[in-house]
Amino acid sequence: MKLKTTLLGKVYSFRDVKDVLAKANEEKSGDQLAGLAAETAQERIAAKVVLANLTVADLRNNPVVPYETDEVTRIIQDDLNEPIYQSIQGWTLAELREHILDDARTADDFRRLSRGLTSEVVAGVCKLMSNLDLMIGAKKAVVTAHCNTTIGRPGSFAVRLQPNHPTDDPDGILAEVMEGLAYGNGDAVIGLNPVDDSLGSVSRILHLFDDFKRRWSIPTQNCVLAHVTTQMEAVRQGAPADLIFQSIAGSEKGNEAFGLTGAMLQEARDLLLTQGQATGPNVMYFETGQGSELSSDAHHGADQVTLEARCYGFAKHYQPFLVNTVVGFIGPEYLYDSKQVTRAGLEDHFMGKLTGIPMGCDACYTNHIKADQNDIENLAVLLVAAGCNYVMGVPHGDDIMLMYQCTGYHEAESLRQLFDKTAIPEFDAWMVEMGLITPQRRLTERFGDASIFLR
Amino acid sequence: MFSEPDVRQLVTAVLAELLAEDKAAPSAAVAPDAVLVEDGQVPDVTAVSTKDEFHVPNPANREAYLDVKQKTVARLGVWRAGPRYNTWSMLHFRADHATAQDAVFSDVDDAYVQAQGFVAGQTVCQSKDEFLTRPDLGRRLNDETKERFARELPRGAKVTLMVGDGLSSSAQVNVPDLLPAIKQGLAGLGISLGPVPYVKYCRVGAMDELGALIDSEVVCLLIGERPGLATGESMSAYMAYRPDPDKPESWRTVVSNIYSGGTGPAEAGAHIATLLKRILDEKVSGVGLVL
Amino acid sequence: MADRLVSVGIDVGTTTTQVVFSHIMVEDLSSGFTVPRIEIVDKRIVYRGQIHFTPLLDDDAIDLAGVARIVEREYAQAGVAKDQLDTGAVVITGQTARRRNASEVLHHLSDYAGDFVVAVAGPRQEAVIAGRGAGADVYSKVHGSTAGNYDIGGGTSNFALFDQGRLAAASCLDIGGRLVQVDPATRRITAVVDKTARLAQFVGLDLAVGQPADLARLERLAEAMADLLAMSLGLLPKSAFYPQILTEPGRDVVLPRPLKNLSFSGGVADHVYAPPDGGDPFRYGDIGVLLGQAVRRSPALAQVHRFAAAETIRATVVGAGSHTVELSGSTIEYDADQLPLKSLPILKLSVAETANGALTAEAIQNKLDWFQVDGQRPAVAIAFAGPRSPSFAQAQDLAAGLLAGARDLLAAGHPLVVITENDLAKILGQSIRSRLPGRSGLVCVDAVRVEEGDYVDIGTPTAQGRVLPVVVKTLLFA
Repeated sequence: MKLKTTLLGKVYSFRDVKDVLAKANEEKSGDQLAGLAAETAQERIAAKVVLANLTVADLRNNPVVPYETDEVTRIIQDDLNEPIYQSIQGWTLAELREHILDDARTADDFRRLSRGLTSEVVAGVCKLMSNLDLMIGAKKAVVTAHCNTTIGRPGSFAVRLQPNHPTDDPDGILAEVMEGLAYGNGDAVIGLNPVDDSLGSVSRILHLFDDFKRRWSIPTQNCVLAHVTTQMEAVRQGAPADLIFQSIAGSEKGNEAFGLTGAMLQEARDLLLTQGQATGPNVMYFETGQGSELSSDAHHGADQVTLEARCYGFAKHYQPFLVNTVVGFIGPEYLYDSKQVTRAGLEDHFMGKLTGIPMGCDACYTNHIKADQNDIENLAVLLVAAGCNYVMGVPHGDDIMLMYQCTGYHEAESLRQLFDKTAIPEFDAWMVEMGLITPQRRLTERFGDASIFLR
Repeated sequence: MFSEPDVRQLVTAVLAELLAEDKAAPSAAVAPDAVLVEDGQVPDVTAVSTKDEFHVPNPANREAYLDVKQKTVARLGVWRAGPRYNTWSMLHFRADHATAQDAVFSDVDDAYVQAQGFVAGQTVCQSKDEFLTRPDLGRRLNDETKERFARELPRGAKVTLMVGDGLSSSAQVNVPDLLPAIKQGLAGLGISLGPVPYVKYCRVGAMDELGALIDSEVVCLLIGERPGLATGESMSAYMAYRPDPDKPESWRTVVSNIYSGGTGPAEAGAHIATLLKRILDEKVSGVGLVL
Repeated sequence: MADRLVSVGIDVGTTTTQVVFSHIMVEDLSSGFTVPRIEIVDKRIVYRGQIHFTPLLDDDAIDLAGVARIVEREYAQAGVAKDQLDTGAVVITGQTARRRNASEVLHHLSDYAGDFVVAVAGPRQEAVIAGRGAGADVYSKVHGSTAGNYDIGGGTSNFALFDQGRLAAASCLDIGGRLVQVDPATRRITAVVDKTARLAQFVGLDLAVGQPADLARLERLAEAMADLLAMSLGLLPKSAFYPQILTEPGRDVVLPRPLKNLSFSGGVADHVYAPPDGGDPFRYGDIGVLLGQAVRRSPALAQVHRFAAAETIRATVVGAGSHTVELSGSTIEYDADQLPLKSLPILKLSVAETANGALTAEAIQNKLDWFQVDGQRPAVAIAFAGPRSPSFAQAQDLAAGLLAGARDLLAAGHPLVVITENDLAKILGQSIRSRLPGRSGLVCVDAVRVEEGDYVDIGTPTAQGRVLPVVVKTLLFA
C-alpha cells in the first residue's frame, strides 16, 4: 500500500488510509476544526493522487473505525456481498471512478456494484470526483423504494412537505399542510419536526395527518420526526405512522449521542412491518449530515465525508424509503459557505445513490452562514439534474420552527417544469383529480390556493 | 362586538378584495395593500406581517384561509407568478434574510455595553469569522477578561447575571426590559444582584468558565440566539447551578424565544426570576429540575 | 407529563336530569426550552349516567331532594367522590330554569357537587354549552365554515352558531317537546303551556287540556314549531307570531354570517335524525317525537346542510362537563390561599382606559361604584386586554395604576384579581407584588378573554401550580 507521493518536486507522505481520506477531501471548515484537513492546496491534491492509487481492498481493509469496536463498521462489512467484492477488490479507486462514469453502466450495474462497496470505498471515489462527475454518477444510479407509493423513478421528482410550527399548533400545522399540497408538495412524505416530542404530542400529530390524508385520499406517507423510541411507542398505542424516522451517524459513538443502536432501528422496522399501516416494504426514514459526528466528539479522527458515507452504509441495512442529508443546517464551523454546502450536497447525494439508498437532500442554510436563497436554488437545480429523489418543501423557503431556510413550496413545480418531471405518479394523478394541474400538467387557478381544502 | 383578530381579518379581507378586483393589472413590486406612506416613497415591504399578507386572487374560501393564516407565522397565501414567487413576497423574504444576516455579522456597539454599565470582556476569539467557525474558542474567556472579572465581580454571589452577544447582536434590544424584570423578581424573593459581566464573541459555554472563576452559585446568561428569518432579536436565557466546564449541556435550564414576537422580555424576565429561585432552592438545574 | 382534571357535568332540564363525568387532559406543550405552555389536549367522557326524568314537586317547583338523590346515586355509580372533582358545571335549563326554586336548587347542587363546580344558566349560555357538546364548534373549524346547533329540549330550543370554531351567535326559542303533555294510557292532553296554546290558536288549532290527543292536529302544531325554528334561521319569512316565541323578548337570532351547516341535539334530536320507527308517538307522554319528525320533514330546514351531532340527548350535559373550563396562561402570579374564587363580576377596562397607569386608576375608580350594593363593595375581577409584550416600564406604570384604582377594593379586604388577554400576567403580577410587600391577596392571570357583564370562577391550581382553571359565565342565574 503506497501512502507517499511526490507532487511538483515535494514529497508528501500520509500516516494511514484515514489520513489520506481526510486530506483528499475538498476543503471543509469541519475538517479544519477537527485538525484533519490538508494544510495546503497542493497537499490536498497529493492526497487525491495517493487515494486514486489505493485499491478497493485497501479501503475495505482499513475502515476508519475498527470492526471490533464499532457497530456501524460491522454492519457495513457484514452486509457486503463477497463474490461481488472479490471481483473488484483489485481495482484502484481511479479505475472505480472511471468505471462509474463509463457510458455503458446501467442502473442494474450500479445495484450490483453497490453491494461490493464499503462506505470507505464510496467516500474515497467521491473525493476523486468533480461536482459534475458526482452528478453524472448519481444520475445513473437509480434507486427506487416503496412505502405507499414508489419514490425515485427517473421521470418523477418528489418533495417532503415539512409543515413545521414553533408551537406545534395543530391548526397552524394543518394550514401549512394544505398550502404545501396546493403547491404540489408532499408526495415524498408529509413529515413534521415536532417541538414537543412527547408521546402524546407525536400521537396527536400522527392522527391529525392520517385523518387529513384519509379525508382527501392523498396517496402519500406521513411521519412525525421524533426519537425512534417515541414513535415506536406511539405506533404500539395505535398511532397511524407510515414511516419511522431517526437521525443517524456514521459511528457507533455518534449514534449513542442520538440515543440509538442498530437493534432499535431493526425493532422499529419490524414493528412497522408487522403492525404499521403502510404497504412497505420500505418504512424507515433517516436524516444525516456532514459534521454531526464531530459535533458529538464521535468522529474517531475521520473526516466528515467518510463518516457521512458510513451513515449510508448503516442506513442501507434497514431498507429505508427516505434518506436525506440536511446539508447546510449544521453551521459554518462544518461547512463554511455556499461553495462548501453545494459540494457537500452533491457528494452526499452521490454517495447515497452509489451505496444503493433512495437519496434525497435537504438543501438548506442557516442565517449564520455565508449563503442565501439563490445558493440553495442552485443546489436544488443541480440535485434534480443529478436525479435526486426528493428535496424539502417549506412555506416560501422559511422554516419558522427550525429557524433555517431551505427549498420552498414553489420550488416543487418549478423544478418539475424545468426538468420535465412529474410528482410521484399516484400523487400526480391526485393533483389532477384535485384540479391543481391539468392532465397536461399545466398549473390551474386552484394551484396555490390552500382553501380548496377548507370546506 | 369585534375582537381584534376579527377586525384584522376584515381589513385584510377588504384589502384582498380590492386587490382581486384589480387583477387585470400585472403583479408589481409595490403591493396595493401596503401601509400608506408619504408621496414619493416606496412602502416598506416588511410593514405587513406575514400573518396578514394575503395575495391569493380568487380563493375557494377566503374567510377560512385568512382565519387559518392567523394560526401560523409561516408565509401562507403568498400566491405565485407562474410557478415562482410573487415579487412582493420574494422581496419581503429577502429583507427578512438581510435582517437576520445583519444580526449575525454585525457587532454589538461598544457604546451600548458601556451605557448599560456592564463589566466588559471577550472570549479568546479575535474576529467574528473566528467566532463563527471556532465554537470551542467562543467558550473560553481571554486572560485579560478573566483578570478583570476576577477583580471586579463579587466572589461567591448567589446569582450572577451575565450577558453575551452570541449569534445575534440585535438580541440585545431585549436587555433593557429583561434585566430589570429579573432583578425585580429576584428582589421580591430576597435576592440581590451585583454588577453584570458582558462577553463579546460569546458562546453559551463561556458561562461555565465564568461561574467557576468567580464561584457563583447560579449563573444566568442572556445571549443572542442564532436568528431565524426576521427573528433576529430572539434571545435565550441559560441558567446553571454551580456551572463548570465539566458539567454536561443538559445541566443547563433554558428559556429561549425571548423577544417581542415570542415571549416578551419583561414577561420572560419575571418567569426567569422564579426559575432562578427554584434552582437556588433545589440546588439543581437542567433536566434534573422537574418543572 | 399529562395532568388530569376530573370534571362533572350536571344538567337539570325541563324533562330530564343527567350527570356525566369526564377527564380533561392537560399537558405542557412547550419543548422544555421555552416558557411553559400548558393546554387542554383532550377531553374524555369517562362516565355517562342514566337519563332520569326531572323530579318535580308540583307545577312550579323542582324536587330538590329528588334531584339530589339522582345526583348522589350517579356519583356512587361512577365511583367518584366530591373531593376528587377539579371542575365542572351544573346547569339548570329550559323550563326548569324558570321554576321558583331554580336558584336554590342550582346553588345547593353546586355546593353539593364539589368545591369548584360552577352553577351556570341563562338560555344563551345553555345554547353555547349544548352547541359545544354537540360538536358544532369543531365541525365549523374542520370545515372552515359556519355550523349551527339547535338543541331542542322539552321546554326550549337553544341555538348556537359557530364560525370556524368561534362562537358567533346564540339565542333561544320557547319551543320544546314537552310543552304539550299527553297521557299515553288515556291518550288525552294533560298539559299545555300558555305560549304553546297561543301558538296553536295562531295557526288555527283548538288545543286544550282534556282533549283527546288528535295526531293530525298535534302534527300540525309540531310543524308550526318547526316553521318557527326555520324562521329564526331566516329560512322562512317571519310570521306575526314569531316575536312572541323568543325566550328573551327582543333577543332574536342574528346570523353574522350565513348558516352553512346545521345539527340538532337535545331529547328531540334523535327523532330528527332517525326515520319514524312506527312506535307510539306519545310513548314519552309528550309531543317530542312529533316535533322531531316535523323538523326532519321540514323543507325549509332541509335547505341547510345537516350534519350528525356528536351528542344528541346528552349534548348539554357533556358540554357542561367538558366544555366550560379553560386554562389561564402558563406564566402567571397568584396567592394560592385566595383560591378558589367564585362568581366574580368583571370590571372591564378598554384599551383606551388602560393606555397608562393614571388612566387605569381613574377608570377603575369610576367603574367600581357600579358594583356597589347597599354601600357594600363586593369583590370584582379587573379585566383588560393589556399590551402585547409590554416594556418593563409599562408594567410598572400599569401595576401602580391598578393598585391606585383598586385602593377601596383592597381596603374592603378583597384580593386584587386581574385578568388580561395578552401574555403579561407574570411581570404585571410581580410588579404589583413589589408594591405590596408582605401582603397576600393577588391573583393575576392572562390568556383569558372576558366581557363586561361576565362572571368568572377561578379554580385551584393545576399542572404543578402553573395554571389556574377558569370558567367564564356569560350570564349568572338571576
